[in-house]
Amino acid sequence: MKNLPTFFTKSSIGGILIALLFVCILFASLSQRFFTPANLNVILNQVSINAILAFGVTFVIISGGIDLSLGSLVAVCGVIVALLVQNPDMPVLLALLATCLVGLALGAFNGAIIVASKVPPFIVTLGTMTIGRGLALILSDGRPISDLNESFYVLGNGKFLGISLPIYFLVISFFACQILLSKTVFGRYVKAIGGNEMASFVAGIRVNRIKLYVYMLCGFFVSVAAILLTARINTGQPNAGLGFELDAIAAVIIGGTSTKGGKGTILGTFLGVLFLGVINNGLDLVNVSAYWQQIIMGGIIILAVVMDGFYQRMNNKN
Amino acid sequence: MKFIYMCFLGLCFLSCAEKKKDHLVIGVSMLSMQNEFIQQVADAMEVAAKKENVELIIVDAERSSLKQIEQVESFVNQQVDAIILNPCEYEASSPAIEKAKAAGIPIVNVNSSTKAEPDAMVGSDDATSAKMAMELINKKLNGRGNVLMIQGYMGQAAQIDRERGAKEVLAANKGLTLIASQTGEWDRAKSMNLMENWIQSYGTKINAVFAQNDEMGLGAVQALLDAGKKNQVYVVSIDGIKDAKKSVVEGKLDVTIVQNATKQGEGAVLTALKLAKKEAGVARKIVVPFEIFNK
Repeated sequence: MKNLPTFFTKSSIGGILIALLFVCILFASLSQRFFTPANLNVILNQVSINAILAFGVTFVIISGGIDLSLGSLVAVCGVIVALLVQNPDMPVLLALLATCLVGLALGAFNGAIIVASKVPPFIVTLGTMTIGRGLALILSDGRPISDLNESFYVLGNGKFLGISLPIYFLVISFFACQILLSKTVFGRYVKAIGGNEMASFVAGIRVNRIKLYVYMLCGFFVSVAAILLTARINTGQPNAGLGFELDAIAAVIIGGTSTKGGKGTILGTFLGVLFLGVINNGLDLVNVSAYWQQIIMGGIIILAVVMDGFYQRMNNKN
Repeated sequence: MKFIYMCFLGLCFLSCAEKKKDHLVIGVSMLSMQNEFIQQVADAMEVAAKKENVELIIVDAERSSLKQIEQVESFVNQQVDAIILNPCEYEASSPAIEKAKAAGIPIVNVNSSTKAEPDAMVGSDDATSAKMAMELINKKLNGRGNVLMIQGYMGQAAQIDRERGAKEVLAANKGLTLIASQTGEWDRAKSMNLMENWIQSYGTKINAVFAQNDEMGLGAVQALLDAGKKNQVYVVSIDGIKDAKKSVVEGKLDVTIVQNATKQGEGAVLTALKLAKKEAGVARKIVVPFEIFNK
């Protein structure tokens, strides 16, 4: 980062970074309340669930796949963890562990079908999205599950050193994914498969196995997000997570990950998540009417992606 | 699962339609079985049906008025004795009413209304519940203070009516100021986010919150509790679901305006039954009053 202008033009995240700075300055000038430590804590806390989901699905999209079942699987894991911690004799840690295993299994289910059937992930996960919603309804009998263990509530709403607990999960997930994607063989294989699956196969990468792992990883992060959401609202809800997949995928794409696969960064995804979160928070702070919020939100997202495209082209020219 | 079970029942019924039936059959199309309140209405219907020895075929329209119309068409084909409709939308569910009427099958609306006039309507007026909520806020604040409103899903009948009711009271009481109003999409997590953002921008200025349903009211209460501001803010919401009543008893949520699910469900089945038996003097409009649930 010796030379700031070249950093913006050369880096793949230059576009989104500028877009994020732009909305931050915009809201800071419209509301004095925007740039306060308390509000920054609120923003990070609110984006943590979407961020964790988006980190997981970043791997899926880089590998050339997609996962539409995120939201429904959040509901399934959320209902399961709620049912488990409803029982006062159940150690919370064990319940969390079991839920993560369920997440891994659901991801493996997605991955196994995709690998074995060669059906496009879009269709497979569209199917599991519906199955997941039905499963959540059956498990919960269609009703919210409340009266959860007290210590579970702290997980979603407690603070440590003045910072909300979900933010710690966000930070840990960020570094874990960052290392996994950029510093390990697994990460390189994921990019290789997304870039050119055939070539990767010929080069000896076990494509099917890596793909299966990618969906399992995504399933794991789904379960973490589901735990945080359930703890935060202190109930397991079968209709939780509606549309979460769109928020997560939007953040990944805004963050510069290619929809065709092969390239993308965790930092980009995080900036994309932050960008959406800042707009949400800012529009509430300045009290834009509910109808206009949707139009402005859509407009700003398109603007960000257009700007990003512009920077990418400049990048290529240089 | 219930849907598949009911479809199966429906199929069985079709296949033995030749046989003379010994009990009446009522087809029921519900707005959304994922909504706790609607579920309570459906439960009350099943209890009443059992008591009266009527068979109910309950199907879930999953918030789609198109699906709802198709379901009513299938009830007409099955030649049920009466239909109960829990409309998805005011305008878009109207064709369902007309189809039933054209086939000469009595149809009863439960919980909310449609543009087309059914044979009878059992429910409560959404605007009234919002008026009651705002009146309570007005009384609590002695006619002076700042109010926030958390709206339902924008454009749905319940959101429109509840907003109208609340605004009527606001217009009549100039001391109350609506400082902001946003949608929480009937959802607890979304409304909690919204409230957290509002706490950042309005802080100690907030005196009361009106949430258009209990889920959102509970979300707002949680955000206020986490910020240590609940004791300064009065929160009222509508529906009277189990979680909300519990929260009121625990001293968290201040008031929930209870829609009586049992009376709505029961009333709908009894009215449909009377219409199916062609009894004279059936009440065309049964208004189930709201109740205030507070500590």
